[in-house]
Amino acid sequence: MLPHLDAAYTLAFWLTRNEDQARDAVQEAFLRAFRFFGSFRGEDGRPWLLKIVRNACYELLEREHASAGAGEFDEEAVGAEATAPGAVLVFPVNPETAAIERANRELVRRCLKAMPHDYREVLVLRELHGCSYKEIAVIAGVPIGTVMSRLARGRRLLRARIGESVKREETGT
Amino acid sequence: MNCTDTTRLMNAYSDGELELAMSLAVEEHLESCARCRGSFAGLQAVRGAIGRGCEFQAAPESLRSRVRAGLDGECARRPWALLRSPLAVAAPGLVALVLAGWLVVAEVMKGAGPPVAAQTRVVYHVSSSDTASAALRNLANHLQAAPGVKVVVVAHNNGVDFLLRGARDQSNRLYEAEVKRLSQRGVEFRVCYNTLERRQIASSEVITEATLVPSGIAEIGRLQSREGYVYMRL
Repeated sequence: MLPHLDAAYTLAFWLTRNEDQARDAVQEAFLRAFRFFGSFRGEDGRPWLLKIVRNACYELLEREHASAGAGEFDEEAVGAEATAPGAVLVFPVNPETAAIERANRELVRRCLKAMPHDYREVLVLRELHGCSYKEIAVIAGVPIGTVMSRLARGRRLLRARIGESVKREETGT
Repeated sequence: MNCTDTTRLMNAYSDGELELAMSLAVEEHLESCARCRGSFAGLQAVRGAIGRGCEFQAAPESLRSRVRAGLDGECARRPWALLRSPLAVAAPGLVALVLAGWLVVAEVMKGAGPPVAAQTRVVYHVSSSDTASAALRNLANHLQAAPGVKVVVVAHNNGVDFLLRGARDQSNRLYEAEVKRLSQRGVEFRVCYNTLERRQIASSEVITEATLVPSGIAEIGRLQSREGYVYMRL
């Protein structure tokens, strides 16, 4: 029996977007957790472990990114534009809400995978793992205020992308 | 509550992260404002879409076995890591079980008072790379003068440098060899993970003789207050 292995794998999968890398990162994270274990005291084990998983994922991606050369993270540029400091966070009143409700599973997964990782990680931790803002802050190593704003911006961006994709699919463009 | 406030708090409201009074204020505004209601419907729609499209994933069985085998290997290589746990089981195969029990263990540890020291216990605090050589020299002398003394070295700040792969002293000797000798004599080396994060050092850079602790300072405090260690700064 291994505690939180599914939670660890789910997070690793959505951060690396690749099953093999997710497995490697989880393996590495559990070894680190074991090395930490002698000093682990008191706190809740799950956020503690997920933090280790998260860091293992980013280190793995960075290593592979460095060895493969640039070119994989073009999405970041798109994300940066939509989330410049001071960007308005209002959800416009939008007929696309109905379109989002029609979005199929594959389309949603594709859109979430294409999100910049800062947003993807808070969205996954909140929506899939059901973590509280405080837990997400611990895992991602950012203040709670940042968790709040990333969730708001992330949902807004994801909503726009799902809406556009549904429209494109339906009009066949 | 106006539209700007509602927009700012809408996500926290949807996530159940607002206090009751704040929550009620948001609700009240949503009831009276069609524009914010539209925004909120959009927010709920995107949350619903994620819920429908992305479920929690079960780890593949092959990963489960791989992790378990990896932990068993780690256990065989560094049994003292387990001996530090109050369960004191070092048999391969039990590692996963021990890891599973960490919350229970943590609770037990919280309840336990400082144990009576059966031996002299000393924690060496190394916080600068300049003093690492002196620390190791003193440590060897210390072990010679007081056989049976238990020593834990906690490294933080630039003090972690000598525990990184390939680190050499002023005479160009690898620290690793000396650390290995000392750890065979029961000395434990613990590295502050906060320091690694802050200095952006990957934990894989740390030599295998050393274990990681979340915070070097917290570890020193814990050793002194909970395990009866005497503090020595080098």
